Amino acid sequence: MESIVRFLNNMDKKIKTGPFKIIHPFYGALNTMLFTPGHATSTGPHIRDSIDMKRFMGIVVFALIPSIMVGSYNVGLQAGVEGLFAAFMFGFLKLLPIIVVTYAVGLGWEMIFGHLNGHDIHEGFLVTGILLPLTLPPTIPLWQVAIAVSFGTVIGKEVFGGTGMNLLNPALTARAFLFFTYPGNISGDSVWVALDGFTGATPLAAAANASGSAVEALNSAGFTLDKMFFGFIPGSIGETSSIAILIGAAILLITGVGSWRIMLATTLGAYGMALLVQFFGADVAGGIRTLPAHYHLVMGGFLFGTVFMATDPVSAAGTNIGKWIYGILIGFMVILIRTFNPAYPEGMMLAILFGNVFSPLIDHFVVQANIKRRLNYGK
Amino acid sequence: MGVFNLKKGHDIPLQGTAERHIEKAHNSSAVAVQPIDFRGVRPGLKVEPGHVVKRGSILFVDKQRQNIVFRSPASGTVREIVRGERRSIQRIIINIDADSSESFDVFSRAQVAAFNENKAKSVLLNSGLWPALRQRPFNKIANPDKTPKSIFISAVDTAPLQAETDMLIAGREKDFQLGIDLLSKLTAGKINLSVSSLTEPLFKNIEGVEIHRFSGPHPAGNIGVQVHHIDRLIAGDIIWHISPRHVAQIGSFLNKGEYPGGKIYALTGSELTNRHYVSGFEGAHIRDLISEAITPGKQRVISGNVLTGKSIKAAGFVGFYDDMITVIPEPDGRRFLGWMRLGMNANSFWRLYLSKLIPGKKFAPNTDMNGEERAFVSTGEYEKVVPMDILPVHLCKAILVEDIELMEKLGIYEVAPEDFALCSYICPSKIDFGRIIEQGILSMEKEG
Repeated sequence: MESIVRFLNNMDKKIKTGPFKIIHPFYGALNTMLFTPGHATSTGPHIRDSIDMKRFMGIVVFALIPSIMVGSYNVGLQAGVEGLFAAFMFGFLKLLPIIVVTYAVGLGWEMIFGHLNGHDIHEGFLVTGILLPLTLPPTIPLWQVAIAVSFGTVIGKEVFGGTGMNLLNPALTARAFLFFTYPGNISGDSVWVALDGFTGATPLAAAANASGSAVEALNSAGFTLDKMFFGFIPGSIGETSSIAILIGAAILLITGVGSWRIMLATTLGAYGMALLVQFFGADVAGGIRTLPAHYHLVMGGFLFGTVFMATDPVSAAGTNIGKWIYGILIGFMVILIRTFNPAYPEGMMLAILFGNVFSPLIDHFVVQANIKRRLNYGK
Repeated sequence: MGVFNLKKGHDIPLQGTAERHIEKAHNSSAVAVQPIDFRGVRPGLKVEPGHVVKRGSILFVDKQRQNIVFRSPASGTVREIVRGERRSIQRIIINIDADSSESFDVFSRAQVAAFNENKAKSVLLNSGLWPALRQRPFNKIANPDKTPKSIFISAVDTAPLQAETDMLIAGREKDFQLGIDLLSKLTAGKINLSVSSLTEPLFKNIEGVEIHRFSGPHPAGNIGVQVHHIDRLIAGDIIWHISPRHVAQIGSFLNKGEYPGGKIYALTGSELTNRHYVSGFEGAHIRDLISEAITPGKQRVISGNVLTGKSIKAAGFVGFYDDMITVIPEPDGRRFLGWMRLGMNANSFWRLYLSKLIPGKKFAPNTDMNGEERAFVSTGEYEKVVPMDILPVHLCKAILVEDIELMEKLGIYEVAPEDFALCSYICPSKIDFGRIIEQGILSMEKEG
């Protein structure tokens, strides 16, 4: 081990000063991933918590494993592949190239900006690079993934100053880019099943297009509540299985890495709004407004977005009260878009980006309230 | 009287508490008075190398306030004046000889009771113990030209491995009372004494103080936190604070008419095998207090606690305000796949390691940063270790963008770097909150 460490340290010096210093951000990240940096504190606090960003982001990736597993299996299942393992492998081989392209292109950009700004590749990209593929349909062309990742990394993050400074969630920025530039490849009925010429509408689309009761339309399309809960339905790779996402949510909540305030607030906001729509939609003849409120929670990208996207600590509201407002706002918006916007059956992506844009304003008011309390003290 | 049960904060479970018995220092070779211990003081020297000084002789004064004097804790010969960058004076080292003391007037309780504010001030300034009184805002020696709205004393020991107040001033109730009598002349307001137990015999019969009980994890014992809950600072307010040990020192000075140069320390930290309390001189040499061998580079000696103490060499001296010495290990090299470890021995505030499943487990962490500096990630965890209505991340960001007005609005006056030490400890981005706060306080001072 000691000789490996010595080798890594020597390489670090050579790359830093040599002709290939542009790859140093990447090498630095790899180097410290293999062995901890081992730097000592100089002033107080002389001891530090064992946690670092690698552990923190690593936990998020770990929490995504159930969604990767079930999602891969479901891609195979939807394409009609028989057998548990065969279906999983079929789907996983669809997902893997998307992940590889995302990481390769994204890391390339991170390396360039890391070189320009003089820092290592930040661990946040570990998560972005796995989140984005899970929000895409299995049929997405890889060149589109490459363009989307470039947009998400450069425009969504680096122009703001890099990880920690970005206003919007980079993975969602990339997805929104695809959504508006190549809508034919990320929405509609023909993209969700990884077989050429095969169409299959998502449950949200089925409910939106129902001429009568949405529940009946879902049932006749084979989308029962439990099927949707387990995730054996067409949809983006990682978003379909509620149970897999809930396992991930449990990991994030137990470890404290994901904000329980945001998750709870988003769920309450969406459920509350869905109840309102359901109540006032009682006399509507058909369509999604006839859907019982709890259906919304297991359909589309709601749960995946709530657990993994809305909770991104950089683009979410930073204050504790702000997190409540931010979550409720997202929950409210997603149902509003789903039920009142005829153009998009799904609203989670836009709702979260909307929340991202508003989070600085929300925090501003929370900070002002803190200031006001201080000024009023003693009066 | 107030009872405050604070929920927020964190006690780092550390190995290495001091056993509750006091031994005499095994040697008394040298002491040092270190101007760098006193924030903002510009020392004007009154001695030179080779001068013979008594216990209580003036070593230097504050150039900006010449009436603040710093006296020698021991008698002997000035060995060396150590200078640092730009010839700033770091410390004055004195080789200890046979004890002889300067003599001062002796005062009884009745005499002190007849003091007015000016008399109390001049006696305390002349004693050389004035620097023990510090003020908020700005976390520096109290300005004798001002009158504080109240004075705070914290006997709540929450810092990691902290020396326990009852060990430091055991049996000195009379000194403590006389010290309180003098301090009460310096403010028209109250003297707030915070304790962790209302039945603490040391303070049960003390007169002239308002007693408050604080419980909860660190930093419940911090002055800033207690002021925030008892009598919050608003713009223009000044409070003073002093440690219980220094109150007893003031009393001892008045009772005996001599500068009290003795001090009790706790020897703590996982790297020490003989951990106990030790009585020696103020500003004592580390080697005089600790008899076991210390290997530089393998072990770190800290004057103070692991959160806010100063790293000093094994041949260094204890700081004026520090009641303890902590010795902990230095990092043991780079760890293979450290971020993926299960962490049976990982000290952490977060629930990310197996060690969290073992209740009551204590750790012996080394001085490894355990990571590299990254951008702020507002996870909401920082607020969990700041038991005040203050937004740590927003305050720090205001300081980083040098927005003086916003810093003021967000409460910079109320805080000191020590109040945010736990934020730095738990931070996954390894940001030094204390350094940022210090920077903020400095720029507020400059603005006036």
